[in-house]
Amino acid sequence: MHGEVMNIDEHAIYNDATDVFGFWLYILTDCILFASLFAVFLVLNYSDMPHGPTLKHYVNLSDVFIETMLLLASNFTYCLSILNMYQKKLLKAQVWLLLTFLLGASFIFIEVSEFIHLAHEGFRWDINAHASSFFTLVGTHGLHVSIGLLWILSMIIQIPFLKASHIVMRRMTYLGLFWNFLDIVWIFVFTIVYLMGAM
Amino acid sequence: MELESRVTPDYGSGQKKLSIYIIGLLCCIALTCLSFWVIQSSQFSKWAMFGIIYSSAFIQFLVQVICFLRLNTQTEQSRTNVLSLLFTIVILISIVIGSLWIMNNLNYNMMM
Repeated sequence: MHGEVMNIDEHAIYNDATDVFGFWLYILTDCILFASLFAVFLVLNYSDMPHGPTLKHYVNLSDVFIETMLLLASNFTYCLSILNMYQKKLLKAQVWLLLTFLLGASFIFIEVSEFIHLAHEGFRWDINAHASSFFTLVGTHGLHVSIGLLWILSMIIQIPFLKASHIVMRRMTYLGLFWNFLDIVWIFVFTIVYLMGAM
Repeated sequence: MELESRVTPDYGSGQKKLSIYIIGLLCCIALTCLSFWVIQSSQFSKWAMFGIIYSSAFIQFLVQVICFLRLNTQTEQSRTNVLSLLFTIVILISIVIGSLWIMNNLNYNMMM
C-alpha cells in the first residue's frame, strides 16, 4: 500500500517536471515576442533620427528608477514567499505574496500615470512610428505584469483552500518563473528604451 | 536530504536559499544604481556610457538567471532548461542584430 502511494507520488512529480518544462518553453517563446518588439523599437529609433518629438524631452528618469526598484523588490518578496511555502508556513507565504502584489500594483500605477502624463504632454502613440513602438513595447510588458498581478491575487485566494499541496507548489513555481521573467525583460526595457533614450 | 528533495521537487530550478536571493538582490540594486548614475552624471563620453549600461544590463541578466531563476547544470532537467535558454538567446540575437543590420543597410543605400 505504502509503495503504491509512493509510486503515484513519483508519477505526479514526474508529470509536474514535464509541465514545468512546458511552461519554461512558453516563457522562452514569450522572450521571442519581446525580442521582435525590441527589434522594431531599435530600428525605428536608432537606425535613423526620428522626426518629430522624441521620448528624451518627456521622460522622467527618477520615475523609471522607482519602477525598477519596485519590480526588483517584488521579485525578492516573491522569492521569500516561495521559501516560506517550501517550509509550509502558509500565512507568511501569503503575506509575502500580498506584498509582492502591492509592489507590482504600484509599478503598474506609476507606469500608467507616466503614460497619461506623456499623452497629455503631446507624446501620444499615434504621432509617429517612434512613439508607437515605444508604447507597444512598454505596454506589452505592462500587460504581462498586470496578468501576473491577477495570478498573484488568485494564488493568495487559493492557498488557504489547497494548503501546500503539490498543485499549489507547481503553480507557485510557474508564477515564480513568470514573475522573474518579467523582471529580466524590464532590465532590458529600462536600459534600451529609457537610458539609451536619455543619452 | 534525499527525502527532502523527494518531498519538495524543485523542477530543475536549483536549491532555494535566502542568502543567494539576498546576494542577487544587492547585486541588481548596485548595478541598476550604476546604470542610472552613469546616465545622469555627464562626465562620460557617449561610447563609455554605452559600454557601461550594456555591460551592467548583461551582468544583471546573469545575476537574475543564476540567483533568482537558479539555473544550473546539476540534473538532467536543469541541463535541458539551460540548453533551451541558450537556443532562445541565439534566436533573440539573430532577430535583433539581423533587423538592425538589414534596416541600417537599407537606410544607407537609400540615402540620396
